[in-house]
Amino acid sequence: VQPPEKPLQAEEWNKLREDFQFPEIFEEVMLNSMIRCNSPIDVAKSLLTHLARRNGDIAYNVLVKYLTLCVQQGRVSEVCDVYDIMKGRFKILESGAYNLLIRGLSNSDQWRMALTLLEEVNKIMIPSRTSYECCIKAASRHQEMKLAFELYNEMLAKNVVPTLDVLESFFNFSRGMKDAELQKDLFGILFYLRENQIYPHKRFMRSIKLWFESIPGGNWKGRLTNIKDSGQCPVCKHQLEDSNLTEEEYSNLSERIIKDVIHGTDTFRKTSPKEFEAFQTFVENRLPFDIVIDGLNVSHIKSRKMQCENLFDAVNCLAKENARLLVLGRKHMLMNTSNWKREIMKEMQNKADFFFAENISEDDAFLLYATLRSGKHCRFVTRDFLRDHKACLPDSLTRHLFRKWQRGHQMVFFPSAEGRGFSSVFSQQPAFRYDCVVQTTGDTWHIPYKDVFEEKYSYQVPRKWLCIQQK
Amino acid sequence: MQCANMLLRKILRSSVLPFAAQHGMKKDLFPLSRTLSLSLCLKQDKSEPSEKLDLDEWKKVMKSGLQEEVSETVSEPKELSSLAAARETLEMWRLAGRAVPENISEVQLKTFMECPSKSAKKKYLKYLHLKELHKKNDKRKMDEKRERRLEAKDQASNTDETKKSSFLCLWSSTMDRAYNWRAAQSMIFGQPLVFDMSYEKEMSVREVTNTVRQIVLSESCNRKSVDPFHIHFCNFKDDSLYHREFINQYREAWGKLLITVTEQCYTEIFPKDKLIYLTADSPKVMKTFDHNKIYIVGSMVDKTIKTGVSLARAKRLGLETAALPLEKYLLWSTGAKNLTLDQMMRILLTLKDTADWKKALEFVPKRKYCGFVNRPVKELKKTLDLINTLKLGKGWEEVETRFAKNHPKK
Repeated sequence: VQPPEKPLQAEEWNKLREDFQFPEIFEEVMLNSMIRCNSPIDVAKSLLTHLARRNGDIAYNVLVKYLTLCVQQGRVSEVCDVYDIMKGRFKILESGAYNLLIRGLSNSDQWRMALTLLEEVNKIMIPSRTSYECCIKAASRHQEMKLAFELYNEMLAKNVVPTLDVLESFFNFSRGMKDAELQKDLFGILFYLRENQIYPHKRFMRSIKLWFESIPGGNWKGRLTNIKDSGQCPVCKHQLEDSNLTEEEYSNLSERIIKDVIHGTDTFRKTSPKEFEAFQTFVENRLPFDIVIDGLNVSHIKSRKMQCENLFDAVNCLAKENARLLVLGRKHMLMNTSNWKREIMKEMQNKADFFFAENISEDDAFLLYATLRSGKHCRFVTRDFLRDHKACLPDSLTRHLFRKWQRGHQMVFFPSAEGRGFSSVFSQQPAFRYDCVVQTTGDTWHIPYKDVFEEKYSYQVPRKWLCIQQK
Repeated sequence: MQCANMLLRKILRSSVLPFAAQHGMKKDLFPLSRTLSLSLCLKQDKSEPSEKLDLDEWKKVMKSGLQEEVSETVSEPKELSSLAAARETLEMWRLAGRAVPENISEVQLKTFMECPSKSAKKKYLKYLHLKELHKKNDKRKMDEKRERRLEAKDQASNTDETKKSSFLCLWSSTMDRAYNWRAAQSMIFGQPLVFDMSYEKEMSVREVTNTVRQIVLSESCNRKSVDPFHIHFCNFKDDSLYHREFINQYREAWGKLLITVTEQCYTEIFPKDKLIYLTADSPKVMKTFDHNKIYIVGSMVDKTIKTGVSLARAKRLGLETAALPLEKYLLWSTGAKNLTLDQMMRILLTLKDTADWKKALEFVPKRKYCGFVNRPVKELKKTLDLINTLKLGKGWEEVETRFAKNHPKK
């Protein structure tokens, strides 16, 4: 339905209603289309008046729809009126109305009322993240940074994830303030980005930069740059954090991989205890390896070639560097079939160690175990992103560790026409040597940022950096 | 008269209403004034349609009703218990037009409050809402049916016609007796079929309920078949969730079922080499139905597909496994290859009676496959491609990718 352009008389509404297919839901449909077309508020008012005259009452959902229209057009006094009416009519409201009210009021001089509303919501449920967002933005817009941070901490404590927008607004509105406490809080946000491996987008990065440069007497200077493969920042010549995990992180990750990925709820789901034990003794006797290869994955790289030839290429290419290789495969590879020629398999076994798992076992789990057992220098070769194994890990912290380790240790074999080479899945270079995360040394900050607003793949890391230096 | 009306209206409009709104009139006077003003307005609308609308009139109406209520609610104790507050919230959601049940019991309300997240709460409410709708619909249909039956009865008594027949009309109970006789026979001579009841830990409460529902269905179609299986519930623990659900479903009939329920594992009852564990994850594909083997079906519904759980069971016990040859006989389109327990039962029963795969696999839901294949898929692929390219003029690549999607390479 097309909403009318001018307020209508009762009769005209009646006529429209009768012409409509389902008269019972006429008001709802009409208000919905008014919201969509952003109709003048007077039209909606005339509909409500008509309704009130006919029924002596207006249903809650109609009121909420009207409220949506008011909020959409920023009619603060109208929002207040509707709130008064609702408060009188109903003991409590539901989340949709609260969200709207908070959104409507936080953009006006009545923003403190939004805060009291937020408290009211708090009593019965966890407020939505947009509600928090609106209140925080309103508080910081009025330079009440302390209040804004209180709300922010409350939000985090309730496990409500803040949007990048909120974080950005903190930096935008703190510009030029000299306040040690505030500075600490903002650094806290940067650490939040670090811990959760969140990368700011360009606009956000810019507001961080401007804030740093605006600190009175801070002498901060920010510059945009690309980090070299060596991990050195070209601006301040600073070496970025190593991509290697710490001893503790490393042992923690290996433990979790064995416990959650290999064993999980039932060891028999991915392997069997007997097989795993055999694999463990096999690995222990031959440690350490330099490169662990997922044989089946590598063998599928070129579909035109025989599978064992693909694997043969990879093994040859890697064996040249005098590295100790381990190839993981399944028993069916030994069956001298058209894809797996016995002679070639024999030849390969002279150059690398092979372990053949049962045909129904998961070889990826073995790949992770062997690589982690061999130590920090060991890399592994597969095209697989290992998402399913990452998903087996119990908490986000361990999953981040896994990603970080994977970035530093996974390689992909790309056979090309000119020659064969290896590179990291995540970028066109051999696995990252430095850690791609917000980092500081006290007098410098390095912040990776995304060029585009949305980062497409979670495994990709940004290549552009903001370098901030104190002079 | 009109003049008087106009005057009255003016007085009401200009002074009484705002005055009342500001100071809060006494209850008894207010509704009167409202109806008065409204009827006046209506009259006036008819006579002078061009008159300017009072756009905020609805507010007055809403607030006027409000004052009465406020004066009533003030005296009430304001603090609400958490249960009452939840009920209150639900009511508001219902008013806002969300999928929320009209009536909710205390137990359901508690379950609702224990839901860990907002989306879990929403889902639970939607489930209750749909359940309520179904119930209402069923009741309505029952009532209609009853009415129709009564009408038919009236008509029949009017015509007063008596049918003559040499059989007593005792259909359902005689049938039941015949079925039970067959089931009893199968308990002695029938081929065993095992339901493995050891998956309780893997499932949520809803999933266990669904599992039991499916088993009840399979039991009933087994009982009604020509040559029933001898059903075994193995690894069945008393007072488990399964047990409670079975009692919920069967009530007193639970004790009278002609099946074997045991706490023992199937490996303790039957020789290991005769057991075959049916699981969709099995690398082996079933070729024929073997009348001398004992098939095991895992009593599990996994809404979030948990791969390899039942395969792990079989591996641990060193049992043979098998999967239905779905790929071989059906052009699979969508959906997971795990079937419901009652579908499994129907398929197994048909195989047992006829050994005809085509007939048996009729019970696979139609939405999951495009059609039957009577030759190996590889051969068929070539003809299909040829037909497509000839008929539609489609490029080879397109056909190939589409086919690859349906038949991923191992």
